[in-house]
Amino acid sequence: MAQIVLKQIEKSFKQEKIIENLNVTIEDGSFTVLVGPSGCGKSTTLRMIAGLEQQSGGEIWIGDKCVNGVEPGKRNVAMVFQNYALYPMMTVKENIEFGLVNRKVPKQERERLIKEITEIVGLSEYLNKKPQALSGGQRQRVALARAMVKNPAVFLMDEPLSNLDAKLRHQMRTELIQLHKRLGATFVFVTHDQVEAMSMGDRIVIMNKGQIQQADSPMKIYDDPDNVFTAQFIGTPPMNVIHREAIFPYMEGQLHSDIHQVGFRPEKAMMTMEKKPIAGCVQFSARILTRETLGAEIIYQLEAKLGLVAVKSFLKPLEFANEVQISVPMKDLYYFDHEGKRARQYERSEERELVALGGGYA
Amino acid sequence: MTVWSRLRPYVMVAPSIAVFSIFFIYPIFYMIFLSFYNWDFINPVKEFVGFNNFVEMFQNSEFLQVLTNSLNYTILSVSLSIVISLGLAMWLNREGAWYGFVQGALFSPHIISLVSVSLVWMWLMDPKFGLLNAILEMFGMQKLDWLSSPDSSLLSLVLVAVWKGVGYNALIFIAGLQSIPKDMYEASALDEANRWRTFYKITLPMLSPTLFFLIIINLIGSFQVFETIAIMTNGGPVNSTNTLVFYIYEYGFRYFKIGYASAAGVVLLLVVGLLTLVYFKLLSRRVHYQ
Amino acid sequence: MTTASKSIVRVLNVTAMLVLVAIFVIPFLWMISTSLKSYSETVIFPPKWIPSEIMWSNFAAAWNSGPFLKYLMNSVVVSISILLLQFTTITLAAYAFARYSFKGDKLLFGITMVTLMIPGQLIFLPVYLLMSKWGLINNLLALILPFSSSAFGIFMLRQSFKQVQEELIEAARLDDAPEWKIILKIMVPMARPTLVTFALFSFIAHWNDYFWPLVMTTSDAARTLPIGISKLREVDGGAAWHILMAGNMILVIPILIVFSFAQRQIIKAFVYSGVK
Repeated sequence: MAQIVLKQIEKSFKQEKIIENLNVTIEDGSFTVLVGPSGCGKSTTLRMIAGLEQQSGGEIWIGDKCVNGVEPGKRNVAMVFQNYALYPMMTVKENIEFGLVNRKVPKQERERLIKEITEIVGLSEYLNKKPQALSGGQRQRVALARAMVKNPAVFLMDEPLSNLDAKLRHQMRTELIQLHKRLGATFVFVTHDQVEAMSMGDRIVIMNKGQIQQADSPMKIYDDPDNVFTAQFIGTPPMNVIHREAIFPYMEGQLHSDIHQVGFRPEKAMMTMEKKPIAGCVQFSARILTRETLGAEIIYQLEAKLGLVAVKSFLKPLEFANEVQISVPMKDLYYFDHEGKRARQYERSEERELVALGGGYA
Repeated sequence: MTVWSRLRPYVMVAPSIAVFSIFFIYPIFYMIFLSFYNWDFINPVKEFVGFNNFVEMFQNSEFLQVLTNSLNYTILSVSLSIVISLGLAMWLNREGAWYGFVQGALFSPHIISLVSVSLVWMWLMDPKFGLLNAILEMFGMQKLDWLSSPDSSLLSLVLVAVWKGVGYNALIFIAGLQSIPKDMYEASALDEANRWRTFYKITLPMLSPTLFFLIIINLIGSFQVFETIAIMTNGGPVNSTNTLVFYIYEYGFRYFKIGYASAAGVVLLLVVGLLTLVYFKLLSRRVHYQ
Repeated sequence: MTTASKSIVRVLNVTAMLVLVAIFVIPFLWMISTSLKSYSETVIFPPKWIPSEIMWSNFAAAWNSGPFLKYLMNSVVVSISILLLQFTTITLAAYAFARYSFKGDKLLFGITMVTLMIPGQLIFLPVYLLMSKWGLINNLLALILPFSSSAFGIFMLRQSFKQVQEELIEAARLDDAPEWKIILKIMVPMARPTLVTFALFSFIAHWNDYFWPLVMTTSDAARTLPIGISKLREVDGGAAWHILMAGNMILVIPILIVFSFAQRQIIKAFVYSGVK
């Protein structure tokens, strides 16, 4: 089928270089999510794969073919757009059929394909409606059907769910994952939403300022971020990252001079009322600023001498407390160097549990 | 990029640009060129005369009268038309079938050929058997000579122009009025501003882009008046309705003084060009306050 | 305000509106009335509104006083040809200006914008000389060619092409649609309201045009309806108002009928062309 390889991709708009020396391999049949803040170059990357945007340098390979200079329609890719981009003057059927007609697929074959695809996405009743007459979710399905009917090796999706309401978005996520399993094609999915990225991708490529920060499986990225950006981008609330000078007084032992920042996940911190020393922990006192009750868990915003800290707790004590004690096991600390990269060699991570389940209550 | 995809945009604009260049841009330059020559259209030789045509023209009392006529006609018809149509717009800017009907009636002269308008008004203004004089007499007033007296002929043409133009102007004004945010009026009502104050402080400034647009468009249009004159008065009586375009037409096609007619054309070009320039200047300075 | 003064205002308002409508409708009624009168009834003062005998023969007299079938055919051919040519040229040019950036695009668009401001009344003399050099005087081409593209149309259509979402075109490109198909199947249908507006505008303008055909023709072979009607003044030394008005009806009635059916659309077309 089709793996996608980007080799030393460069992209400039006018004088400004927005992507420089981008190298990534998107494996055949994977559900790869490109995620990052707006302006990070994720959409541009997707559009370069589609051929809608010319790269300024480097090579793009789809399958065993270099597609530089190949027209978008000839790359064997399909794309689903954020606003669906359905042709408003055509019916649902004509929308789905348009690409087939352009490829001179015979009429009988077209009818068969359309029937098959619309049954899968549940649009059979709406074939003669115009897109304006459909709901957001239905339009999304038409867009998907239009992509699927071409039977492409690669599906490119540019924030396809962001125009849907929360409930529908949830449902479509599940459907897309199932669709991916069923089709076995390569999916490249762009989103700015890290929750969406984590829940959908079997591989996540995190981008920032035109550079790839980390490309890994979701769990690996969560548990073992390569740098401060990834650590803070993935996870809600984000990882607490504290300057070495601020946290040092609360730590036992030494802190190597290469270590610039220290971080810990909000759910790894233990919160207690009374001060009692626990071995192998960073401990400090803090004042509760806000409580955000999410049901199963509560997120606290705390103010401590070392700065603002978020803590996630799965129990409901301390409801009336003001001052609390925070303890973070040393094994759950992440160290970052002066460039924001992980300084794994100094961590006590060998003791860390690899699956981030449950709270940190001993 | 293939050669074709680089060439494509040029191929696509080529027909239009060719039409514009051949029939609009080039003729301007050709006209300027001709204005420095004496030529009767038949003689193969064009005689270079420098600025003679212009000198002759501005010493010609007939041309000076034509210029005065054009100016009078333009100023009168534009100011009347703008004031009346603004008043009508303020009055008729309401929802409802009746208002729609009235707006339609007002607008209908605009889509009728100037030939028809001219002929109907010629007949309305007929001094012996015309309806206008009949109405005047019905109200006990004196009959007028309308087009057949040099004192009233130009005014009669102004009347026709205003009749034909106010509907269009009023509808543009209404479109302009409707684009003024309602909350501005609500705010001014809360400030207990009276009607005139509201008009001067809100309506007029917010309407100023529309107003300037209409003034300029009407000015340019009025300077080019031809049809009504050619059909209703032929420039008379005694040159009282002879205006620029008609003058150029007569000198070009009746007297075959191509060079001289071109020189008059250059004068019209300057007027239209100047007005256009003013319009774009104002447009770029954004005459409203948003 | 009290209810009494309110209703007085209302009565005044309705009266004023009736007077206003009368000012714009009476000339047309006067035309209709005259066109049905006999000659002797046009020369009585004060005039009568209702003719004692309806003279349908006036229309035949007007129609037969010149080659009116020829005029009508010429008018139809000229207006329709201009419209079809304009559709082609402005669609292509507007698409290029809206969607491509190419060397010199600003200059070429500038030429278009300058043309927008040049009226026919300014350049008829040199264009006449050009046409006569090409031997096109008294040829319908002289009436068609200068208007085979429209700067105004390009300007309008470019605006509405620009408003089409970029994604629609990209989707079509991914659907392997060639450029001509994107124009015909996506852009033109999306810009349909603009094209209808422009068509109404252009058709009415050229159907009514008197000036250009007057300048470019010297014989009946290439004359159009407005010229023909205006020449009815020569019938009976200009005194045959009943014939003149009957002829005038032939010119006005089609437009008025179209207007009464598509009033909203036509008003929108003209107002839009003014506000843009």
